[in-house]
Amino acid sequence: MGKLKFAIYWGAACGGCDVAVVDTHEKLLDIAAAADILFWPVALDFKYRDVEEMADKSIDVCLFSGAVRNSENEHIAKLLRQKSKVMVALGACAQLGGIPGLANEKRRQDILDFVYHGSPSTASQKGVYPQEITSVPEGKLKLPKFYDAVMTLDQVVEVDYYLPGCPPESARILEVVQAIVTGNLPPKGAVVGALDKALCDSCPRKREEKKVKVFYRPQEILFDPERCFLEQGLICLGPATRGGCSDPPRCIRSNMPCEGCYGPPPDVTDQGAKMLSAVSSIIDSQDPGQIEKIIDGIVDPLGTFYRFGLPASALRKKRFP
Amino acid sequence: MDNFEPKIIGFYCNWSSQMGIDSAGVEGASYPPNLRLIRVMCSGSVDPEVIIEAFKKGADGVVILGCHLGNCHYRNGNYNALRRYRLLQKTLEQFGLEKERLRLEWVSVAEGKRFAGLVGEITEELRRLGPLRQFS
Amino acid sequence: MKTISIDPITRLEGHGKIEIFLNDQGNVENAYFQVPELRGFEVFCLGRPVEILPRIVPRICGV
Ligand code: SF4
Ligand code: SF4
Ligand code: SF4
Ligand code: FES
Repeated sequence: MGKLKFAIYWGAACGGCDVAVVDTHEKLLDIAAAADILFWPVALDFKYRDVEEMADKSIDVCLFSGAVRNSENEHIAKLLRQKSKVMVALGACAQLGGIPGLANEKRRQDILDFVYHGSPSTASQKGVYPQEITSVPEGKLKLPKFYDAVMTLDQVVEVDYYLPGCPPESARILEVVQAIVTGNLPPKGAVVGALDKALCDSCPRKREEKKVKVFYRPQEILFDPERCFLEQGLICLGPATRGGCSDPPRCIRSNMPCEGCYGPPPDVTDQGAKMLSAVSSIIDSQDPGQIEKIIDGIVDPLGTFYRFGLPASALRKKRFP
Repeated sequence: MDNFEPKIIGFYCNWSSQMGIDSAGVEGASYPPNLRLIRVMCSGSVDPEVIIEAFKKGADGVVILGCHLGNCHYRNGNYNALRRYRLLQKTLEQFGLEKERLRLEWVSVAEGKRFAGLVGEITEELRRLGPLRQFS
Repeated sequence: MKTISIDPITRLEGHGKIEIFLNDQGNVENAYFQVPELRGFEVFCLGRPVEILPRIVPRICGV
């Protein structure tokens, strides 16, 4: 077998997933020994034109990080899909929409207005917005279309595997790449590089009883570093998140609650809805007034339960006018 | 928004609210046809995922009907429903959905007329709000 | 007028492209640097609780 051919790309991303690939350190060289990387904007100087000129399915594996925010992201996703045998959604942005997906709670025009005019650090001329086509004396300049909403990768192309995390743990990326190199791939559509259980299952924290009368913000209490966050009234997305980031889980190990970056566990389609149920079920009150007060202690439910998954949720395209 | 007829999905529990709805029929109390009813065992068994799904599939409003607090056939199901409903409503509001689009109401066997009135009121409210739009 | 497109610019974080316009003599008449990317952190961070921000803003750039 000849060397495998890889492409690594980013849509609406932060580059953290690319860095997670680089963070495989010297193992990256093992990958390089088994594979040629044909396209990787953060690290190598190949252009879109080079990809366009490749034969269809000539790339063995494409690792695509980042969400689909504009027409360029969609166009390149489709181009890479056409050129690649296997498409992997790398990281939370590609799998679920990720942090950039939080923009789906805002309207497109409101985003443009604030970024180009409202923000105190912007000094645009009045009424100036980025245009898809701008005429300049020398010719025309083109920018991608900024979409109404952020989409996940699988909302625009077929995805073969999902490698979750924000970013995915480097060791997991390596395992997956090795599985690809040795041809040990699970059935298409699988989530790879993670466990098939909820994160709580691999959490070492002591659990006693989940009954909560007050939800705290982390700065409001001195919490017990040994005990389950949720039982102490700190929202932790463990029950609604897939395990596998590391053992013990990455954030838990750093004494922070899980924020859900590995996406929903198996059999859960809407991570936010699942977490919302889990939280409601531990509220220890039957008094409507008190319930109201307890719930008011959760200051940003959307940004907490749907921090990574707004575009993947059924809520994605529903908005009031 | 003239002539807009909202689609409303109603989840009702198999016990008090079911009997309440029946008695509306027996008493001849009529209500708008906008409400499509789905029976569940208990108001506490309506998962937020299902409610979101209902909105996704085209509902302009969702109403959950259960037994009055203290009367749930399964004792605490409606308390569960109440907690989830408030948290979901708060979350949806942040997403831009008016809170009137999601309602939780208790209906007893003796409240057939009240139920019919309620459906009328919810339908009116949703007509006023207009359809739940979708991004293009 | 002939153009040279450098698309994308590479080996740095983020998206960018450069359009270079050449005149009839083959000299650079003008060049434009463009950023075909916007996520809108400026907007969706607004109103968020302060303790959530340190967990969101690292995702502006992870390189
Ligand atoms: S998943 Fe996280 S690390 Fe990867 S590109 Fe998105 S924000 Fe960055
Ligand atoms: S809720 Fe969080 S702290 Fe509690 S067991 Fe689950 S992962 Fe651990
Ligand atoms: S603990 Fe949760 S938020 Fe933290 S890395 Fe693991 S899955 Fe992601
Ligand atoms: S059975 Fe009616 S609310 Fe539980």
